[in-house]
Parts: sequence; C-alpha cells; structure tokens
Amino acid sequence: MSADEPGAPGKTFGEPVAIVGYAVSPMSEFAEQTEVQLCLDVVTAALASSGLGRKEIDFTCSGSSDYLSGGTFTFVANLDAVGAWPPIRESHVEMDGAWALHEAWVRLLIGEERTALVFGSGKASTGELSRVLTLQTDPYYLAPLGTDPLSLAALQARALLEAGKATERDLAAVAARARRAAATNPLAVPAVAAAGAAAVGDLDAEIDALLAAEYVRSPLRAHDTPPVTDGACAVVLATATVARRLAAEQGITPVWITGLEHFVEPHQPGMRDLTDSVSTRRAGEAAGLADGGPVEVAELSALHSHEEIILRGALGLPDTCEVNPSGGALAANPTMATGLVRVVEAARAIRERGARRTLAHATSGPCLQQNLVCVLDEASTEEAR
Amino acid sequence: MPVSAETKYGPSVTTNTVEFPYRRSLGPVVGGFVAALARGQITGVRSTGVRGGGRVLCPPLEYDPDTGAATDGELVDVGPEGTVRSWTWVAAPDARHPLDRPFAFALIQLDGADTAMVHAVDAGGEDALRAGLRVTARFRAQPKGRTDDLAYFVPEGTETTDPDVVDAAAAAAGAAAAGVSTEPVQTMEFWSSLTYKEAVSPATARYARSMLAGTLLGQKCPTCAKVFVPPRDFCSIDGIRLDEGHDLALPDRGVITNFTIVTPVPYPGQKETEPFVRVSVLLDDVEALMGLQPVVDIPNEEVRVGMRVEAVWLPESERNAEEFGNRGWGSTTGAISGWRATGEPDLPVERYIDRVF
Repeated sequence: MSADEPGAPGKTFGEPVAIVGYAVSPMSEFAEQTEVQLCLDVVTAALASSGLGRKEIDFTCSGSSDYLSGGTFTFVANLDAVGAWPPIRESHVEMDGAWALHEAWVRLLIGEERTALVFGSGKASTGELSRVLTLQTDPYYLAPLGTDPLSLAALQARALLEAGKATERDLAAVAARARRAAATNPLAVPAVAAAGAAAVGDLDAEIDALLAAEYVRSPLRAHDTPPVTDGACAVVLATATVARRLAAEQGITPVWITGLEHFVEPHQPGMRDLTDSVSTRRAGEAAGLADGGPVEVAELSALHSHEEIILRGALGLPDTCEVNPSGGALAANPTMATGLVRVVEAARAIRERGARRTLAHATSGPCLQQNLVCVLDEASTEEAR
Repeated sequence: MPVSAETKYGPSVTTNTVEFPYRRSLGPVVGGFVAALARGQITGVRSTGVRGGGRVLCPPLEYDPDTGAATDGELVDVGPEGTVRSWTWVAAPDARHPLDRPFAFALIQLDGADTAMVHAVDAGGEDALRAGLRVTARFRAQPKGRTDDLAYFVPEGTETTDPDVVDAAAAAAGAAAAGVSTEPVQTMEFWSSLTYKEAVSPATARYARSMLAGTLLGQKCPTCAKVFVPPRDFCSIDGIRLDEGHDLALPDRGVITNFTIVTPVPYPGQKETEPFVRVSVLLDDVEALMGLQPVVDIPNEEVRVGMRVEAVWLPESERNAEEFGNRGWGSTTGAISGWRATGEPDLPVERYIDRVF
C-alpha cells in the first residue's frame, strides 16, 4: 500500500515511529570517494538492513552543507544516491543529519507517509574545516575576529575548569576512554583507533601520558579535539504498522523513537553560562528522558573532551550509563553526520547488543549552542502502556 | 587532510577556490557600536522586559538573546577596561586572526556590562593570562568603520609599542580633532575565501583522459539503459554502482533541445561581459544529454531548439583537464570550445520531447 494514496487505510495520526534500518560508512581522514558515492553506499546498505526497497520509501530527508563541500546545491547532487526519478517527496536541512531525522520523524507522525529515509554526509577534508566553521559564527562581532572553533571550544573548557567543575585530568580521562573505545570500533578513524590500540598500561598511566602533550589551544590538547573526518550515515524509519510487518515478515528488530526534541541557546558565547548546557537539559526533559527506565547507553556528540562532562551533567546520566561506547565524536567526527551516527550507535546498542533504553545527542553551533536529544527504546510507547 | 592528500595522490587532486565579497548592513545598534569605536568608545545596550530587563549587553544586539525582547536601542558607554572571564592561547596565529603574533582569545566582561564579549588580548606570553586579569582596549589608529576598529586588548598598565593602535583617550582626542561622524556606520565589507581540494574520482579521470584524446565519454546503466555524461560510476535513477565496463564512447554531434541567454551582471571574477548562450545538446544515436554548453559562431538570436550542432574541438596541443572536476555536469571546457551549427535541417521536436534538461 502506498502512502501516495491520500487517506491510505491504517495510517493513524501520531502512530509510533521506529528505526528499522541503518548504515554507517567507514570513517577516514580523507575519502577518495565523492560525497554522493559515500551516500549511495550507506543508503543502499541501510535499505537492505530495513527490508525495504528504494521505491517503498515515502519521504526522504538529508543533512549536509554546501559550505563544507564547496559547491552550490551539492545536496541536490547527493540525491543521486537515492534514485529520485520518478520524482520523490524529499527535503533537506543544512544541518547535521540528526535534524533531518527530526524532520522525517515529525513528517511520519503527522503526515500520510509511513516510511522515511534519512541520511547525513560530509567530507570535512575537502574544505578548510576550521575556516568553514569560523564563517558560521556571527558575521559582525565574531567571524571578523577569526574566532575558530578550537578557540571557542577552549574558552568553554577553560570556563569549566575555572568553575571547578572539571580538571585537565578529567578531560584527558574522557579522551583516553574515547581512544580505547575507538580501538574496538571498526568504523573509527584509523589513526584514532591505532592510538587507542597502542595505549599500554592502565588508564591512569595513559592519562598521565596524554597530559604530557602540548596544548593546541590551552587547556585543550590534540587528543581533546576531533579528527577531521569524511563519512556518511543513513537511517530508515517506519511507522508502527510497517515496522511490525517488517518484524513479522523479515525478522527486522524495530528500535522505537520514544522522544526527540531540540533547543537552541544564544549564539554569543559570552551571553550564556558556558559551564552548563541548558538546551540539552530542556531537550532531554521534552524527550521524556525522566519518564522511563534508566538509560543504559548514551551516545553524545561531544566534539571536545570537556563537552562530554557538560552533557553528562546536563542530562543527569546515572553512573551506570555507558557513555560513547563507539568512541564518540573524538573517534570520528564526520561533520553533518556526527549526530546521526550517534542515533545509529544508540539504535545498534538495542538492536545488536540487547540494551533496553538508549539516548543519542547531536549538537550544532559553537560551544554546544544547539542540542538535540533522541530517546530510543526496545518497546514502543504503546507497548509500554 | 588536503596537505597530506596532495603528497599522497600527486596531481590527481583538484583545487577550487570560492570567494564571496560580502557587504553587510549593520543596522542602528551594530552600526552605532562601530561609529563609537572611531571615538575610542566601546558601547553596550540595555535589555528590556521582565526577565533580564535592565542588564547591559556587550557586544550590543538588537534583542536580548535570553528573551527575544527588543533592546531599548540606546547605546551606553562601557569599558574601556574590563575583566578576563575565560581565555585560551593561540600560539600560531594564521591569516584570519587579528594579530600576527601569539595572542589570547578571551571572554572579556567590560566595566559596566553584564555580559562578556569574545576578543583578542595581546599579552606577550601565555603566563600573563588568568581569569580575573584586568585588561584595557586598544583601537585602530586609523579607523575603517568596521567592528575590528576595536583592535585588541592589553593587560592594564601595558605600554603600547604597536604604531597601528592607540588607547581610548588618544582615539577620542584624534576623533575630536578630525571631526569624526557620530552617525551609525551603514555597512561593513567582509571578504570570504575558501579553498577546496578533493581527489579526482576514477570516473572523472577516465573522462578527462578521453576528452584530451578527442572523444566524448559517457556511461550506460545496464538497468535503465540511460547514458550519463560524464561517467560517475553510478546510476542516479536506479541508485546502483557502475564501473569502467559501462563506459561508452559518444558521438560529438547532436541537436539543441533547450537554451538560455545569460545577461551577465558584474561581480568579482566575472569574465563574461556580453550576453551569451548556453544550450542543452542531445547527442545523436544515444540517449545522452549535455547541459550548459557554449556555442561557436552562432549569433544569440539564431540559436533555436531543433538546431543540429557538432562539437568544435580545441587543437590537441591546447587541450587541458583543469576544469574537469568531480561535480561536472558534463563540462567540456578545456577540450571543446563549443558547438557549431552543421547546417542540416532542424530535427522535429517530437524526437526529443522528454530530453530538454
């Protein structure tokens, strides 16, 4: 049954939405493939893992950045990965693919569509990432000063240290754990995974070794910052009727989205409390984080070590919660896909490792300006009732 | 990273620089802030409304970012002294940074302001920085009507040796003597330049080689039978991968199925000055369409749909592959100078009705 037919029977407003397929590309510091080829491979693989064909997708939404790729309307070229003929229903956000997921999720909740394909992609190696991100800052007061992303992140890290909420050792501990996790993640940037695999001795000794490194922007050292990364990620969504059919007929394990919300804060870094993430906390509350069992795995888009500490605090994650078992953004940071990869990793924890409730976080803008929280569950909200 | 890529991949990396000359309207608040800088004065603005009402925002904005309420628009004097709240050290500045010597970026709360602004501190060395450090502003000695007329800050009590900047008192005296305007500055220019590098894809490399040898190259999808120019190693209709085995040499004759006449507007880097034509060419014998092609020796007013054309190849010695990037929608620049009329009778529209692009 195609949702192109108005009033397709069985489509109820607000039907729960599940992740039924996903795929993440290998992550590299310089991909030889074009961006659309990266997209083609993850779209094909995500569809295969969902049991749905290209022509069974009712809505497509992608996240990417023309500034990153250096061309006008490059997101249109990326549609070549989808097979957009005859014409399809499609949208694009100039944001991380996690925000494309948000748009597709809303669309499935309120529209006629039952299935959606979401993808995010970026080749950060193509342009000068630091300069590109400087240009996304306020064009009057910040960009003319050359406020590069590393400097802005370092101002936030210093604020956290000055407030007594973290030490440089705490930052190094986050980095050390991320590198060790990267060593077991086949999709991590190879250089980070190799660094994690090469770490010898206990965690304390490794932290000592990391703290001996020079600052790149004090108090941040190279291991506190993400690798320049090329990569792509795709997710397939379905409403409950389709998801349960795929489960029954094809053995697909649906992972249910039980909450998804995002909030934004003032852009000027000096006009908010950099030691907290109010928008993350609000997004978590709005996504119903407190309304279910404990979150067992949290995948956080902490691009710099100190951000993980701020986000843990803002979300009030329990000590039992495993944070960034994939290595997180310190292991691979495919700009415009990093947040969507977190969603996939959080879904993977349920579908492949038996977790019951997990969380994914995405961020945008300098110093955690805008934040999205997605809560995933092995059971839909209907089943929970 | 581009640098390592260049050594790793040798000449098969394409480079492309994109530049935007922005001219931004400043409005009364930012424009007023900039105008005051010429007098050695930093300003903030008072927010209104219940929540956060009455606090002084610096840098000044049109609205209070906490509430969305409009600020009162009255600029109030703050600084020039202030206190460092957070900082980081830029040991190796690059061209976009405000100083060419090591400096600090800092969050500075100016005296009289309730918020902090990001700015640079010329402190000599990292050891001089700490939260709570008192700093004072330095202004451009020859103001340009830009936000960066506020040049940077220095620790209080520092002697200034940089001849390009002055302290607040000297800037005020200079402005009074010169009769500097107090009207808000209207616009500010900002030149953006970004360079992109990427590996030339195998499909693009094959296309470039073929074009240099004088043969148009396409790729045929075994599923839908469509022919794409240039090859891209996938079919955008079926979403499947293709490879060299699907490459197809194409005829260099065809029919114009669509055209447009572009009247150039002047912008930096614009090479065309007179109206010019771009045509879509459907090649003979195959279902391959090439868009945005130039014409040779056809007056603009004579270009029409249905006109039979053939490629005009550059002499082999003059051909180059500089324009063949991964994103080409069938660019022939560097191998073909354009398409000229063959003089054969026009082809009726029924033959190519769905092939107009």
